[in-house]
Amino acid sequence: MGKLNTKVDERGCLACGGCISICPQAALIMFGGRAFVREDKCICCGICIKTCPIGAICEVD
Amino acid sequence: MEYDVVVVGSGPAGSVTARFAAEAGANVLILERRAEVGVPVLCGEGISQRVDKWDMLEGKRWIASKMDGAKIYSPNGTLVTLSKEVAGNETGYVVYRDIFDQELARRAVKAGAKILMRAEVTDLLKDGGKISGVKVRQFNEEFNIKADVVVGADGVESKIGQWAGFNTILKPGDLETCVQYTLTNVDHKSDYCEFFLGKKIAPGGYVWIFPKGKDTFNVGIGILASLSKPGMPLKLLNKFISNHSDLKKGEPVRLLAGAVPVANPIETVRDNLLLVGDAARHSDPITGGGLTTALEGGKIAGVTIGKAVEKKTFDKEILSIYETNWKETFGKKLHRDYVLKNILLDFEDKTLNMLADSLKDYKFEEFSTLSLIKALVFKHPTLLMKLKPLLKLSEKSK
Ligand SMILES: Cc1cc2nc3c(=O)[nH]c(=O)nc-3n(C[C@H](O)[C@H](O)[C@H](O)COP(=O)(O)OP(=O)(O)OC[C@H]3O[C@@H](n4cnc5c(N)ncnc54)[C@H](O)[C@@H]3O)c2cc1C
Ligand code: SF4
Ligand code: SF4
Repeated sequence: MGKLNTKVDERGCLACGGCISICPQAALIMFGGRAFVREDKCICCGICIKTCPIGAICEVD
Repeated sequence: MEYDVVVVGSGPAGSVTARFAAEAGANVLILERRAEVGVPVLCGEGISQRVDKWDMLEGKRWIASKMDGAKIYSPNGTLVTLSKEVAGNETGYVVYRDIFDQELARRAVKAGAKILMRAEVTDLLKDGGKISGVKVRQFNEEFNIKADVVVGADGVESKIGQWAGFNTILKPGDLETCVQYTLTNVDHKSDYCEFFLGKKIAPGGYVWIFPKGKDTFNVGIGILASLSKPGMPLKLLNKFISNHSDLKKGEPVRLLAGAVPVANPIETVRDNLLLVGDAARHSDPITGGGLTTALEGGKIAGVTIGKAVEKKTFDKEILSIYETNWKETFGKKLHRDYVLKNILLDFEDKTLNMLADSLKDYKFEEFSTLSLIKALVFKHPTLLMKLKPLLKLSEKSK
């Protein structure tokens, strides 16, 4: 099984910043007007996935 | 480049801070990563008419409509009304947030502040541990700007606060995750802001309908992030609209996602740095409103910075005048509403229905959370044990 990664769908993200304000690892940043997960910092806790109001964050292989 | 003050973010908190600092003689630069101040709008756009007394906004172009009061619907639809006739004339406006923010920025510029657009702050500059400015990326260039004071007015994301060593990370129980449509061609007659409560409607939050003039309404939802699931706010808002006979005929001209801190306010001052507005978690934990506190806090911050520049001292001690004054002006109220938020979260829908039923004919003395608390205690002495501490907190915040 490959490691799961948390990823923002850049076509869906509306740049509200909610996921960034809540990530316990400060692994999310705004980049080019979209939220972006820094894989080196993310621990795949899933908090941002639950928080995104439009469901633009998911886990991928 | 060197300034007395750099303000990160051109939202209401940033522009007002910049204006009052500049009016006090400081050399101020605002840095904004967006390409237009106030755009995109991420807001329900409701604000108290108290702003009329503050000399912050000139003209009327920023006003979309005037509200006559508030209607709160309990989970089973029981209506509690706070109306203008009873509560006096002071209710609220729905604003055009883009024009609103640009008007505040204009006042800052008029006072002498400069603005750089598309300028994203990527880190703090530190000089042997001392904060001495910011690192900026604008288009393909990266450069440093030195400043005696850095103001974090960077909204809910609040990276400036994190870089300065504050714990700004919100717990999921302290964030409302939101979406909103601006619907037009809506066949709905209302000059009230309307709020709809209930675990099935909006867990840990509410749905709002704000009249934006003519047949246009802001219809949004906030859900407590700890009670949300992926995409839940959008799904529940779509459901609410399709079940609402008037709204379902409307079409959207705007869709936005948003995030509002509903947290206890945090520490806001370090040597050479302070936080204002949403970055300081200054939005109200009950209503989610953050505009009035952004303006009030911004003014206090700007005036404090003016004093610091005059004295050429920028340490925590002098900047703490800001923290003392915002706590006095609205900090206690924010704390009271944080306590109240946690009490309300424990209430079952049937308790909310019962409470609403007892208040449905109540004449409220004013348009405020405090008058709601007072009415509840008056009607339900058994709630007194729970709510009495809030009244004490309210007395202190008077
Ligand atoms: C859906 C929703 C509905 C709301 N409804 C209401 C309401 O009806 N009434 C009310 O009073 N309040 C409401 N609020 C809250 C209100 O919008 C905020 O409290 C208010 O915007 C806070 O102002 P601010 O100046 O602190 O931050 P913001 O307005 O968020 O401004 C922050 C600015 O900083 C900029 N920025 C961020 N990071 C950087 C960086 N690194 N470099 C450069 N620039 C940066 C951003 O681009 C932005 O322009 C609502 C919020 C949401 C999300
Ligand atoms: S919460 Fe969703 S919409 Fe908001 S910034 Fe994060 S990914 Fe984008
Ligand atoms: S999964 Fe957790 S650690 Fe990773 S970006 Fe999301 S909130 Fe941060």
